[in-house]
Amino acid sequence: MGFFDRLFNKHPESCKCGCKDDKKEAKKDAKAAPTKAAPGKALPVKAAPKEAVNPLDAFPLLPGAPPGGKIKLAIYWAAGCGGCDVSLLDTAERILTVSDMAEIVMWPIAADGKEKDIEAMKDQEITVSIINGAVRNTENEHMVKLLRKKSLLVVSYGTCACFGGSPALANLVPGGKDEIIDYVYKKCPTMKAFQDTQKTPVVPKTSVMTPDGEITIPELYDTVKSLDQTIDVDYSIPGCPPTQESIAQLLAAVAGFVYNGVALPPKGTMIGVTAKTLCEECPRKKEMRRITKIVEPHEIDVDPELCLMDQGILCLGAATVGGCGAKCTRAASPCRGCYGPTKMVSEMGASVFTAVASLFPVLDGDPTCNEEEIIKIMSSVKDPLGYFYAFTMSKSLIKRSVVEKKKGGQ
Amino acid sequence: MADFEPKIIAFCCNWCSYAGADGAGVARLQMPTNFRIIRTMCSARVDPEHVLRALSKGADGVIILGCHPADCHYIGGNYRARRRIALLRMVLEQYGFDPKRLRLEWVSASEGEKFQNTITSFVKTIKELGPTPLMGVE
Repeated sequence: MGFFDRLFNKHPESCKCGCKDDKKEAKKDAKAAPTKAAPGKALPVKAAPKEAVNPLDAFPLLPGAPPGGKIKLAIYWAAGCGGCDVSLLDTAERILTVSDMAEIVMWPIAADGKEKDIEAMKDQEITVSIINGAVRNTENEHMVKLLRKKSLLVVSYGTCACFGGSPALANLVPGGKDEIIDYVYKKCPTMKAFQDTQKTPVVPKTSVMTPDGEITIPELYDTVKSLDQTIDVDYSIPGCPPTQESIAQLLAAVAGFVYNGVALPPKGTMIGVTAKTLCEECPRKKEMRRITKIVEPHEIDVDPELCLMDQGILCLGAATVGGCGAKCTRAASPCRGCYGPTKMVSEMGASVFTAVASLFPVLDGDPTCNEEEIIKIMSSVKDPLGYFYAFTMSKSLIKRSVVEKKKGGQ
Repeated sequence: MADFEPKIIAFCCNWCSYAGADGAGVARLQMPTNFRIIRTMCSARVDPEHVLRALSKGADGVIILGCHPADCHYIGGNYRARRRIALLRMVLEQYGFDPKRLRLEWVSASEGEKFQNTITSFVKTIKELGPTPLMGVE
């Protein structure tokens, strides 16, 4: 059974994980939820929001062209969704002053610079290259290596560049690129109807001869890599997409260097993150409750004050580095871990599920219960690999799915 | 595959299983020598990251040995370990590993014989499974 068959397969009837009772219990929980906030107990008054500070204040409007002439800035887009490019525009009117400071030599989404223009440059002629997206094909790799050669500083911008991000979940397809291409171009329902009308299936080839010459397209890789697994990276800004604050911090650092010669942060700095995890910033209260069931936010009335984990919602905040200002958890949506792990942790997924597993209480029957019962309890976590490693697959220790030569071994 | 000698990492808890392994040695119980013991203070000290790192560095199997339920030196450590390992096993299965490459067993300080049996049967299982599927993958 292929990866995609399994993905779209319905839950087997024989499944013992108790998922059929999910809805019932979810309803029960929903009813029970309002009583959780005991009527007599005054809920802590939410701290008045801090005075609205414009996060962009860190990056003031620039005073025209720098004394030493404009710097060169390149922004490149590898395997990403384009959200990072758009997030650069979050700097509002300040993005316009960036062009006072810098000449944008490449920005595929907005400017005109081409690969040949970059190739014609001297080494290290570009001051800063901001690269977003993971490295997934030959073009990505070629371009990021080229930009590395031509740039003084390379900034890994966004979660895909830093940790692989969502594209890296493709690493979990055991058949690699062949299985992906096979499914996307031949088997998926929308393509199948078209392919049925063809004599032989039409799939993209990396090179095709036409009367006008050879046309080539990049070749997909089996394993999606993060940027720093491909090239040397000076700074990283995680986030999906990074916040205004981190963009402002980066631009302020560059502007400070360009205008006033202020020293740049040390190499390897993660911009826009705190030392501690998201829980430090999250305003929710933790009561150290034990949970017996995992729920989705839409299945219950989410208590606005209480920690999401206490309510049974899988929140990755406990293992995710802070810096985003807990935007998601404030809006009653669990943290999905886009900021990546803290500095001390290399395997983010593992540290999340360590925490999640510890949330399940020790039951009365625990001393005598057998492995099957434990598996049944833990099966309430659906798709642990995809959930806990949603953004950090490239940086995980195993990195991609493996295939056992012998199945079973019974 | 007859000459395949697996590399196995055994995490033993300080209070029960490590003493159990010691007991097995003192009693001169015979068992395969494919395992390397790492002593931890508790089976709950074994972070899933340790197991994943062992596998990523080429271990063919990982076995975690702890105190029997209700016997943990830290009262509830082994219950936590049990939940984590169950979850980790699900993760390994999703990666494509055979979940039998990871085992959790309870061996008390006096159970040298159980230690011997556990190791012997685990080595046998891993020999049947063959080398880790991670080898050869970049």
